Amino acid sequence: MKRLLLIAQRECRRMAANRMYLLSMLLFPVFVTVFFTSFMHEGQPENMPVGVVDLDNTTTTRKLTRLLDSFQSSEVVAHYPSVEEARQAMQRGDIYGFLYFPKETTAKLLAQRQPHVSYYYSYATLTSGALVFKDLKTVSTLGSAGVAKSVMSAKGYTDDQIMAFLQPIVLDLHTVGNPWVNYNIYLSTMLVPTCLLLLIFLLTAYAMGMELKENTATELVAAAGGNPFIALVGKMLPHIAVWIVVMGAYMVYTFGVLHFPHPGGWGVIVLLTVLSVLAAVGFGVFMFGLLPALRMSMSICSLWGVLSFSMVGTAFPVIAMDTPLQVLANIFPMRHFFLIYETCIFANNPLSDVALNIAALVLFAAAPVFVILRINRAYKEYVYME
Amino acid sequence: MTIKKIHTFWEDTAKVWLHEHLEMFRDEGALLFVILLPLAYPLLYSWIYNNEVVREVPVAVVDCSNSATSREFVRHVDASPDVMVAERCTSLEEATRLVGKHKVYGVVYLPTDFDTRLNRMEQAHVSVYCNMGLMLTYKAIFQTCTAVAADMNSGIQIRLSGNKTNREDELTTAPLSITDVPMFNNTSGYGNFILPAVLVLILQQILLLGIGITYGTSYEKNRFLRIRPMLDRRFGLARIMVGRTMGFLVLFMLIAAWVILAVPRLFHFVQLIHFGDFLLFTFPYLLACIFFAITFSFFVRRREDVMLLVVFTSVPFLFLSGISWPKSNVPELWHYVSWLIPSSFGIQGFVKLNTLGATFSDILPEIKGLWMQTVVYGVLASLVTYWQVKGSKQETE
Repeated sequence: MKRLLLIAQRECRRMAANRMYLLSMLLFPVFVTVFFTSFMHEGQPENMPVGVVDLDNTTTTRKLTRLLDSFQSSEVVAHYPSVEEARQAMQRGDIYGFLYFPKETTAKLLAQRQPHVSYYYSYATLTSGALVFKDLKTVSTLGSAGVAKSVMSAKGYTDDQIMAFLQPIVLDLHTVGNPWVNYNIYLSTMLVPTCLLLLIFLLTAYAMGMELKENTATELVAAAGGNPFIALVGKMLPHIAVWIVVMGAYMVYTFGVLHFPHPGGWGVIVLLTVLSVLAAVGFGVFMFGLLPALRMSMSICSLWGVLSFSMVGTAFPVIAMDTPLQVLANIFPMRHFFLIYETCIFANNPLSDVALNIAALVLFAAAPVFVILRINRAYKEYVYME
Repeated sequence: MTIKKIHTFWEDTAKVWLHEHLEMFRDEGALLFVILLPLAYPLLYSWIYNNEVVREVPVAVVDCSNSATSREFVRHVDASPDVMVAERCTSLEEATRLVGKHKVYGVVYLPTDFDTRLNRMEQAHVSVYCNMGLMLTYKAIFQTCTAVAADMNSGIQIRLSGNKTNREDELTTAPLSITDVPMFNNTSGYGNFILPAVLVLILQQILLLGIGITYGTSYEKNRFLRIRPMLDRRFGLARIMVGRTMGFLVLFMLIAAWVILAVPRLFHFVQLIHFGDFLLFTFPYLLACIFFAITFSFFVRRREDVMLLVVFTSVPFLFLSGISWPKSNVPELWHYVSWLIPSSFGIQGFVKLNTLGATFSDILPEIKGLWMQTVVYGVLASLVTYWQVKGSKQETE
C-alpha cells in the first residue's frame, strides 16, 4: 500500500514535469468540449442559402417563394434567370438547392393542365442537403394543396372536410428524446467523448512508454518491489483520477450547464464516466503490453482512436455497414460508450439493456491483466533503441 | 562561375532532399504514417462507408386498428427499401422495450380508430416514434412513412372523388406535378458526402504527423547538424528549403494521386474532377500543407509528442472545413480560425471540383486562400528551418 502511494507520487511528479500532460489532460479536453458545443450551438442549421428560378413570376409563385423564405432552415438569397445559372451557383457553393417554376406554371394550374415544378438539392453536404430538401418538398406540396384547397372552399366544403380530403392520413412524428432535432445534442455527445477517449489511449501508452525511453523503468520496478501489479496500478492511479475529473467535468458541462437531455439520470452518468475512463486506460495499457515500445503502441492507439469516430456508428449507423465491420465495431471501447449513453442516459432504459456493453467496458478495463507479465519483462529487460 | 553556383545549389538541394527521405524511410514510426497510413486508411474508410445508405431499418409496429387499411399501411412500410417491419407488438410499452434493446430503431403506432376515422371521412393519425440517437435511421423511417402516407392518401382521394378518367385522377391527386432532383451525390449517400473530405484531410494529417515525427527525431538527435554547413553558403536557407519542400512534394504528389484520384475510382464514389484540375489544385494544397507542417514542427521537441498534438485535431479540422456542418452556418469566430488551416480551403475546393463538378475558375477563392497560406506558412517555415538548422550547431559547440 505504501509502495502504491509512493509510485503514485512519483507519477505525479513525472506528470508535473512534462508539459504534454498539462496540454493533453487539460487544455485539449477543454478545447474540444468548447469547440464542438460552440460550433453547433445553433442546434439545427438555420436560414441556409437557397435560390429560386422563377420564370413564371406570378403572385402564386411569389407567395411560395416567400413561404420558402419563411421556413426555419432556408433563406432565399437569390433569384436566377435560368436553371443553368442556378446550377452553377450550386457548384460554386453559393446555394444548397433551388426551386424551379417554369413559364405558365400558374396559368396551367388554374386551367387544370398539371404544370410541372421541380426542386434541385444536393447531398454533397448531407446536413444542409437533408434540411433544404425537407423545406423544398414542403413548399411544393403546399403549392399543390393550396390550389385544391381554394377550389374546394369555393365549392362550399368546410375546413375539416377539406383537410380530411387532402390529407386523410396524418403522420405524427415523435422525435423521442430530442424534440428539437438538435444536432448539438446528437453529435457533441459522441464527438467530445471520442476525442477524450482517444487522448486517454494515447497518453496512457505515452506514460507507459516514456519509462522505457527515459530509462526509468527499472527504477519503477524496484520501487514496486518487483511486483508488476503494484507498479502498474500505482502508475496509473494519478492518470485515472485526473481523467475521471476531466470526463466528469465534460459530463457536468454538457448535462448540467448546457442541459442536454439526460432522462437516464446522474447515477448512470457517473457510472459511465468511471467505467469509460477505466476502459480507456485499460486499453492503452493493453496496447502497450502487446507492443512494448513507445512509438508502436502510440501509433496503434492513434489509429484505433481515429477509427473510433467512424466505428462508433453515430453518424453512419453500424447496422448499415458490412457484417464483418459490425462485428469489429465491438473492439472499439467508444462503441460501447455510445450505446450505454444512448440507451440509458439519452433514453431512460434499464441498465440491463446494456449489460453486455458494460461487461465489454469492464473487460477493456481488465485487459492489462493479460499482458502484465509482458510489461514486466519489457520494463526489466528492454533497452530503448535509438 | 554562375553556372557553377547554380550547379552547387542544385547539388545541395538534392542532398537535402535525399537526407530528408533517408531520415523518413529509416524511421519505422514515420514510415508507418507516411506510407502505410495513406495506403490503408482510404481503403478502410471506403469500406466502412461503401454501403452509402441505410436500408431495411428495423421498426416495430403497434397496430391497434387491425383493419384492412392499417394492414395495408404496414405492408407498404415493410415493402419500402429503407424500412423493415421487424416486430409486431400489442402495446407501445412493449415496443419501447424493443427500442431499448436495439432490436428496432423506431415504432409505428396505428390507433384503434384509424380505419373508423377514415371511413367517417375524418383525419386519421399515425404516430411515428424515432430513436434520435441515430440521425440516418430517423431519416429513413420518417421519410418512408411520409411517402407511404402520401401514396395511400392519393388512393383515398381517387376513391372519394369519383372521377371518370385516369387523367382526372392524376389531376385530383397532383394538380401540380413535382419532381425532386438530387444533384451531384448520385446515391444520396453518406460515403459520397464524407469521403472526399476525409481523403483530403488525410493528406494534411499525414504530412503533419510525418514531418512532425521526422523533425522531432532530428531535433532530439541533433541531426539537423548534417545539413548545417549548407546554411552558411550563398542562398543557404533557400538550398535547404527547396530541398526539403521538393522531397515532400514529389512523394506526396504520388500519394495524393492514390488517395484522391485512385481510391474514389476503386470504390465507385462520385468523381468529376479532371486530371489538369487535380494538378492545379493539389500543387498549392500540398505546398500549403508542407509549410504548415514544417511550421508546426517548431512545437515538437520529442517525436512522441506529435501524436498527442495532431491526432485529436482531425475531427475539429473536418468541422472547420464546413462539410459536416454547412459552411454558411459556421460561427463567425470559427470561420476565421478555419482560414489558418490548409484543409479548410482544401476540402471545400476539392469537394467542389470532385463532387459538384465545378470548373477550376469556380474554386478560385479557395485556390487564392491556399496560395496565401503557402506564402505565409512558407515564410514561417523558412524561419523555423533556419532556427532548427542554426540551433543545431550551438548545442554541439
